Amino acid sequence: MAGRSTRSINGSNGSRTAPARAAALADLLHYECSTLLELFRKKENFTEDVTDRRLVSVPPPSSQLDTRDKLWRIHSALLQCKKLLETAVAKEEEELGGGKKGEYENQRKLVKERLPLLILSTGELLKAAEGTTSLTPSVEGLEVNVPTGLLDLKLWVYRVYKEVNYWSKTAANTLKDLPSVIVKEGARTTRARNRRSTRR
Amino acid sequence: MAHLSLTPTSKLISSGFVWLLWIVLGFSTSHTHADTGLTVPQRVTLSPNWGTQELSISWLGGGATTFDLIILRTEFNETVFYETVTPTVNKVSGLHQWTWTSVNPLECTSLSVKIRSRDGHTTSEWSQTETLQGNDHPNSEQRVKVFPQDKVLPVGANITFCCIMDEGMVLDKIKYDGNTTSVTRLSRRTYSTTVSNLVASRQSGSNMLCLPEDREKLYGAVVFVGYPPLPIDFKCETHDLRSAVCQWGKGRDTHLYGSKRGTRYFVNNRDCSEVNKDVGQKEATCTLDTWEGNWTLVAKNLLGQYSLTDTAELSHRVCPVVPDLLSVVADAWNASLSWHWKYDSYSSLALVCQVEITATEDEKLIKRVFSGVGLRSVFLSDLYPDEHYSVKVRCGAQQNFWKWGNWSKLSSFKTKTYVPDTPDAWLWLNTDNTGKVVWKPLTRRQSHGKLTQYEVFLWSPEENRALAPAVTLPPNNWSMPVNLTEIAFFSNNGSVVAKVTARNDAGSSPPARVHLTSVEPLAAPRIVYTDQGFPLFWENNANATCGYVVEWLDAFCPQDCPVEWIKLPAGTTNVSIESATFQPGVRYNLSLYSCSLDARELLKRWQGYTQELVPSVALTLSASQQNADILLTWKEIPLVNRRGFLLGYNIYNSTGYQFKLLENVSDPETMSYTAKDFAKGFTKGTFKFTVKAYTAAGENTGTTATVTIEPYTDWLILEILTSLGLVTLLLAIVTFTCYKKRKWVKKAFYPDIPEPKLPSDWPRTRGPLDVKPSPHSMVCVVETPEYDCIKEMLVAIPEEDEDDAGQGIGDESVDTDEPTSLRYYNQMVDERPIRPRFPDSSASSISSMSSAHTDVTYTGIQTSGSSLVLQLDPQGSSECHQPQLDRSVSYGGGGYRPQMQPRAPSDDMGLPSPESFLEPQAACSGGYKPQGSWQLDSPVDAAEMGSLAPSLGSPTSVASTQFLLPDGEENTGEKRQLSSSAASWLTNLLSSTKP
Repeated sequence: MAGRSTRSINGSNGSRTAPARAAALADLLHYECSTLLELFRKKENFTEDVTDRRLVSVPPPSSQLDTRDKLWRIHSALLQCKKLLETAVAKEEEELGGGKKGEYENQRKLVKERLPLLILSTGELLKAAEGTTSLTPSVEGLEVNVPTGLLDLKLWVYRVYKEVNYWSKTAANTLKDLPSVIVKEGARTTRARNRRSTRR
Repeated sequence: MAHLSLTPTSKLISSGFVWLLWIVLGFSTSHTHADTGLTVPQRVTLSPNWGTQELSISWLGGGATTFDLIILRTEFNETVFYETVTPTVNKVSGLHQWTWTSVNPLECTSLSVKIRSRDGHTTSEWSQTETLQGNDHPNSEQRVKVFPQDKVLPVGANITFCCIMDEGMVLDKIKYDGNTTSVTRLSRRTYSTTVSNLVASRQSGSNMLCLPEDREKLYGAVVFVGYPPLPIDFKCETHDLRSAVCQWGKGRDTHLYGSKRGTRYFVNNRDCSEVNKDVGQKEATCTLDTWEGNWTLVAKNLLGQYSLTDTAELSHRVCPVVPDLLSVVADAWNASLSWHWKYDSYSSLALVCQVEITATEDEKLIKRVFSGVGLRSVFLSDLYPDEHYSVKVRCGAQQNFWKWGNWSKLSSFKTKTYVPDTPDAWLWLNTDNTGKVVWKPLTRRQSHGKLTQYEVFLWSPEENRALAPAVTLPPNNWSMPVNLTEIAFFSNNGSVVAKVTARNDAGSSPPARVHLTSVEPLAAPRIVYTDQGFPLFWENNANATCGYVVEWLDAFCPQDCPVEWIKLPAGTTNVSIESATFQPGVRYNLSLYSCSLDARELLKRWQGYTQELVPSVALTLSASQQNADILLTWKEIPLVNRRGFLLGYNIYNSTGYQFKLLENVSDPETMSYTAKDFAKGFTKGTFKFTVKAYTAAGENTGTTATVTIEPYTDWLILEILTSLGLVTLLLAIVTFTCYKKRKWVKKAFYPDIPEPKLPSDWPRTRGPLDVKPSPHSMVCVVETPEYDCIKEMLVAIPEEDEDDAGQGIGDESVDTDEPTSLRYYNQMVDERPIRPRFPDSSASSISSMSSAHTDVTYTGIQTSGSSLVLQLDPQGSSECHQPQLDRSVSYGGGGYRPQMQPRAPSDDMGLPSPESFLEPQAACSGGYKPQGSWQLDSPVDAAEMGSLAPSLGSPTSVASTQFLLPDGEENTGEKRQLSSSAASWLTNLLSSTKP
C-alpha cells in the first residue's frame, strides 16, 4: 500500500536480547497482518465485523503462568495459526484465485512468510527456557475444517487472519513482558504438557 | 432495514381468498365433470433440478390435452403459478410431463402443486396436492441457509437469493456487494432478494450477506459474474518443419478465474488449459506433435464456449527458430558472421535472414538482408576499423514467407585497426606573413585506431626534397606555426608545401598537402545569411584542379585566429556555409580559394553576419554652438562593436518631454551634423541632442550631448541698430517733410489768430488793468517737492511780444509797468473759437474771472513776460516761485485762479504762514492743486485754507490736452522740462513761420 510504513526488527540497539527481538518480530507481524485484514475487508466489501469466533485453542491466560508456560502458550497458538493460515491461503487460491496477483496477494504472502520466523523465535525461546529435553507443542493431527461454501470460506479466511493478528499481538505483549535473560527451569513433566493440548 | 412486503394478516386474507377460489373452482369442476366425464390426474410426481431451479411435474390420466396447473408456496399458500398448460405425453406410458422454472431457488421454501384436466371450459376435479419440501421446513437437515450458492452468471443477468433464517432469528437486511437490497418474505423463515443487471464481479466473486439483527451468525453466498470466452487470432505454424505450434489471443477478460471457473482451451480436442493458466498473458499457445493441417480451437467456461479454426500447409507456415551460437571473425573493414540451426532440417530450407549491426560508438543501426538455402553465415562489409559492433540475426522462409523468427542473442565484436585518414589541413596567415598550418582533429572513425602522433614536413616540390626534418607533434596538437619569410629564405623563394600525416599503430596516413603561399586580399562584398547558411556562388575555375577551399573566420580577429574551412571537390560552384560556431553580431570573412598542385589562389571573398545586432557601444559625441547653428560631431564606432553593417545615424533632439527626430543621416561615413539656425528661435536654454547609430537590427542606445544655447547678442545688436537707424531715418524724413511743408503744417495746426478789430476810439495807451484781482492770484500746480513749479505754472504770455516771451520772465520791471492780462494759448483740437484777447479789457478779466470753470489748456497756458509770475523765491533763486503777498495785491489782482471758487477778500485768507513757504510743497499749495494730491495736512491748515479748500484739487477743464495730475515719478519734473523744451522748440519752429 502506498505510503505504508514498514517496520524492521533490526533496531538501533544491536545488542537487543532474544525476547526483545522476538517481540519486535511479533510487532512487525501484527502490523503486517493488520494491513492484510484491511486489504481483505476492502477487497470483499466486508463492512460488518463478520465474526469473532476463535479458531485457535490454547489454555487461558493466567497470572499464575510462569515464563515457560507463557512461551509455550503463545508458541502453541502461533503454530496453530500457521497451520490455519497455510490451509486458508491454499484453499483461497484454489477456490477463489487464479487471477492476477495484486497487493492483497503480496501482503498475504508476506504474512505467510513472516509467521514461521516468529514461531522459530518463540521456539528458540521456549527451548532456552525448558532445555533440550523439553517438549514443544505440536499441531500434528490438528484438523482444520474448511467450509464448503465460498462465502463461508471467505468468512473463515477472515477469521484465520484475525487469529494471526490477535496472536501476533499477544505474542508481542507476552515477549515484551519476559525477562531479558531466560533462565532454564527444571524439566516439566510430560503429563503437564499433555494437559495443555492444542487440540480442540 | 429491509421492507417486508407481506404481513401475516395479509397472508391470511390472501389465503382465504385462494380457498374461496378453490371452492368455486371445485364446485364448477364437479359440475362440468358431471357433464364431460374428465378424470382427475393421478400420481402427480415432482422432480426438482436444484441447479437450474426447474421443477419437472409428471402425472398420469386426466383424459385431456390441457391441464390447469397451480403452484403455491405451501406455508403462506401464495400462488406462484396458475396457468393452463399443455404437457408432453409419453405415448407408451401415458405419462404427462411439464417443467416449470422457478424465479427463486427451489430450496427456499416448500411448494405445493395441484393439477386438473381441462377441455375447453370443462375441468375435472383437482388432483391431490403434491408438495416439494423446502429447506425452511423444520425437519430439514440442510446446513446451507442461503441459495443459490456459488452461482456463475453472465453480465447483465438477474439473480434471486433467498435466506433461510434459524428459528427465532430475525433478518435485519440483505447486502449484495456491500449494498443493501430490498427483501421479500417467502415464508416464515425465508426471505428473498433479487439483484438485476449484474455487473462483472471481481476475481473472488461478489458477496451476498444475510445479516440477522443480532449478527450472531452470518449467512451468505458468492456469485461470479463474467463473460463467456472470446478468443481471437488463432493461427498454427511450425518451427521444426514437423510439429505445429498454435497460437491465439485470449480476447476479452471473462472475469472468471481459477481452475473451476477459468476458461479452458482445447485444440483439436487436446486440452491446452494447463499451459495457459497465467491470466496475465494475453497470448496462448498449444503445441501439437504433428502437422495436421486443420485445427479447431474451443474455448469454454461456465458461461459458454467459442470456437475458432485454422487451415494451412506446412511450407506456408514456417517460422524459423532463433539462430544459435553466433560467432564473428572480424577484419579492419569487414567481418564474417556465422550461426547454428537447432534443426538439421533447415539445411534444405531456403532462408532469408536479417542482420542488424549496431556500432557501439554512435549506436547507429545497420540492417542488412541475406538469403540462401540453409543459410548459416554471412559476410559483413563496410565496417569501420577499430570499432566495436554488436550483431543479431533473425530468419524467415524465403519461399511462402510467413513471418520472421525471433531475434538471436546479441553478439559483439571489434574490427581491427587501420592507417588513419588523411588529415584535413589548411594554412592561416597573419598579415606579417607568420601563421600556422592547421588541421582538423581526426575523429575516431577517421583515426582507425589510437593516434600516436602527427608529422609535418616542409617540402619543396621543385627540388622534390624535404626542406627540414619532419616535425613530430602529439596527437592532441593540431597546428604548427610557420613563418613564410623564413621559409622563403631557405627555399630560395621556391614554392613550399607543408605535408601533414597522422600515425597510429597500423601506420601513417597519406599526407595532406598545404601550399605555404600568401595571397593578396580582395574586396569583400556583403552576403546575407539564410536559414541554410551563407550562400556562396562562384564561377568554376579551371585552375582548381583539386577543388576549392572555403575558409571563414571572425573578420575582426587580429592575430592567430581560429579559422574554419571546408574543402569542396572540383567543379563545385556553390555552397552554403553553416557552422555551429557562428555567433550573432559577429562579422565573418568568407574566402574562396582554388586548390591546385602548384599553389592556392584566393578567388573571392565575402563579408556577412549570421544575424546583425544593434551596435554594442554608443558614439563619442560632442556638440557646440556656432552662431545660430548647433554642430554635432561624433567618432566612428569601432568595427568590432558595430555588430552589423552600419547604415547611418539618427539624430534626435530632446526638449524634456519630446524626443524628436531631427535628421536621419543615411551615410555611415558622415561624422557630423549641423542643426542650422537651431539657436535662432531660442533666447537661452539647455537642449539635448542624441545620436544613435543603426544597423539592420535597429538603433543602439545612442549618446546624448547637452548644449546650453547662449543668446545670440550680435544678432540682437544688429536688429536694434537697424531699428534705430530706421527710426532715425523716419524722423529725418518727417522733420524734413515738416520743414518743407511747414506752411501747410502751420496752417493746419497753428492757423493765425486774427487780430481783434478795435474801434478807433479805443485807447491804445497802456494802463493798469482795472480788474480787481482775486484774493487768490496764484495758480499752483501741485507737484512733487522737487518739481519745478515754473514749468508747470500757467505761463502768462505777454500779449504784445510773444516772440520774446522768454525775455519777459523774471523781468519784473516790465511786469510791474504793463497791465497784466492772461492769455490762454489754446492748443485744443476742438474748433471752439479762440477767445479774443482783450489786453486791457476789464470785461475780459471779468469774463475770465467770473467763471471758476475755465477752459484751460494747461500746457498752453502762457503768460507774457510781464504778466504775473508765481515766484516763491523772492530772489528768484528758487525753482518754485511764490509771489509775495504785497505783490499779489499790487500786481496779482488780475491773476489767474483756475478752478477755485471766488472768495471774498480777506486779509488773513489765502495767506500761507511764513513757515509754509519753507516747504516746497507748501509753497505750491497756494496754487493749483489737483485732486489726487490735495489734502488737508492739519485742521489748522484746513482752517487756513478756509473756503478755498473745497474747490482745490478739482480741475474742471475738459478741453485740456495735458494731464492735470502730476506724475508721481521722481523725474517727472525733468520730463516735463523736456516736454516743455520740446514744446518750446516746436513752438519756436512754428513761430518762425509767422509772417
